[in-house]
Amino acid sequence: MMNDSFVHLISLGTIIVSMLIFGTFLLLSFNIKTWLEDWGHSLTMAVYLEDDISLTNKDHIAAFLKSVPSAKIKRFISKDDAYRDLKIALGPHSDILEGLPNNPLPASFEVILDIHEANIDGFKKFQKKLESYKGIEEVQFSEDWSRRFEGMMNVVRYIGFTIGGCFCLCVLFIITNTIKLTLYSRSKEIEIMKLVGATDYFIRVPILIEGLIQGCLGGLLAILALYCGYLLLVTKKISFLSLAVLEFQFLPYEYWLSIFVISVILGLIGSMIAVGRFVNL
Amino acid sequence: MIQLFHINKNFGGKPAILDLNLKIRAGEFVFVTGPSGAGKTTLLRLIFGSDIPDSGQILINGINLSRINRSKLTFLRRKIGFIFQDFRLLPKKTVFDNVALALEVVGERANNIKKSTRQTLKLVGLAEKEKAFPLQLSGGEQQRVAIARAIVKKPLILLADEPTGNLDPILTQDIMVLFRSIHLKGTTVVIATHNQELMNNTALRKIPLQKGNIIDC
Ligand SMILES: Nc1ncnc2c1ncn2[C@@H]1O[C@H](COP(=O)(O)OP(=O)(O)OP(=O)(O)O)[C@@H](O)[C@H]1O
Ligand SMILES: [Mg+2]
Repeated sequence: MMNDSFVHLISLGTIIVSMLIFGTFLLLSFNIKTWLEDWGHSLTMAVYLEDDISLTNKDHIAAFLKSVPSAKIKRFISKDDAYRDLKIALGPHSDILEGLPNNPLPASFEVILDIHEANIDGFKKFQKKLESYKGIEEVQFSEDWSRRFEGMMNVVRYIGFTIGGCFCLCVLFIITNTIKLTLYSRSKEIEIMKLVGATDYFIRVPILIEGLIQGCLGGLLAILALYCGYLLLVTKKISFLSLAVLEFQFLPYEYWLSIFVISVILGLIGSMIAVGRFVNL
Repeated sequence: MIQLFHINKNFGGKPAILDLNLKIRAGEFVFVTGPSGAGKTTLLRLIFGSDIPDSGQILINGINLSRINRSKLTFLRRKIGFIFQDFRLLPKKTVFDNVALALEVVGERANNIKKSTRQTLKLVGLAEKEKAFPLQLSGGEQQRVAIARAIVKKPLILLADEPTGNLDPILTQDIMVLFRSIHLKGTTVVIATHNQELMNNTALRKIPLQKGNIIDC
């Protein structure tokens, strides 16, 4: 016969391992999401100027760009700079430029954009305002691009929710079955309680409380283990791929709190399902 | 009052109870006798509702067992004390907690539980063993814990399956005196036994079972 505390350890272990996997997934996806946002942050926008722009208009545009906190002028590219850059880029084929009567390339401001999901709307306003300035030939910041960015974040989020949901169902299944295991080891005890006149409720409540405690304990230990793993990863500065360049963050409290809550709920529902079939013999 | 009408119970095709009709009046004290395998335990389990007859009707205080749901059966069982032949004690609970369980499940108040449990353990001569665990006890002591658990709730009906099988003659007499005193307080007592000595010099009714039915003596 299986020892009672051993069976309890199995179901506690199941909860911890499942929540640890879930937490790792959350931690990675949270960081990937942050990196994606940072990647958006470092995108540049080109503001092409008309060839005959007046100096005052150019200064106005520069002043406007400087006044917007989420935009930063990286550099001003004059017509000559642009020509030289293109020539370098073309390399051995640069002789095709020789045939042109004059420099066809416009001067431009290269602007670093601080794009976050939250300020996409602000950006569209910013873009409109910019286009209203005189002397601008074209702003290469397409709405398509922002849509794609927004869409991508949504896709990442939906994939996360779907995987997370499936995962929770699997974990629920596993937890239910391990709790059933603990009940099998106590089936004699449960039977005797019924013979003595215990109601289902009387038998069920302690088991549900046990599931609740296991969920709490499992959640806490999983979060603790996750944090230890995170510290190990950060302090050892594991530099595979380019990950070291990117900053690795621990989950903000809403995330690990939700791990805890999910763990408690899984423990409770798991024991509910397990006990449901068991008590109604 | 306990009434059985044309009860049949088979185990794997073999009849354990065969077309049994029986009436035990409220407040009666009866013995169910018969050789091993006669169906004594099965009869008690049928009355207790832990076995379901293949056919026939059982009425306990006018309640038809086949017509009530599980929760009603639970409440009916609380009025019945059952002393199991194999004791059915919880090995992880102390003697005290095993006996107290019968009161806990009905939601008795804590200080009442304590008082009644102590009193009953004293009655069966186990006051000193209340902190022991069942497996630390002798067979006779375990049997008395089982008796204490059945009578602690002052049941209307006491079903005792071979309640003195592990007791020496003196303890057997003590327990019989205890059953008689419970009976005098109004409890219906049904004792299944093949111990002839138990029934010596009593004028109490005997129900002799053989092969699942009552034989005429
Ligand atoms: N759960 C069961 N499964 C199969 N057969 C059973 C079961 N319970 C009882 N039986 C059979 O039913 C018959 C009556 O058994 P029961 O336990 O009622 O006898 P008994 O009179 O109590 O005997 P004893 O004096 O040995 O306790 C026996 O032949 C037994 O093998
Ligand atoms: Mg028997």
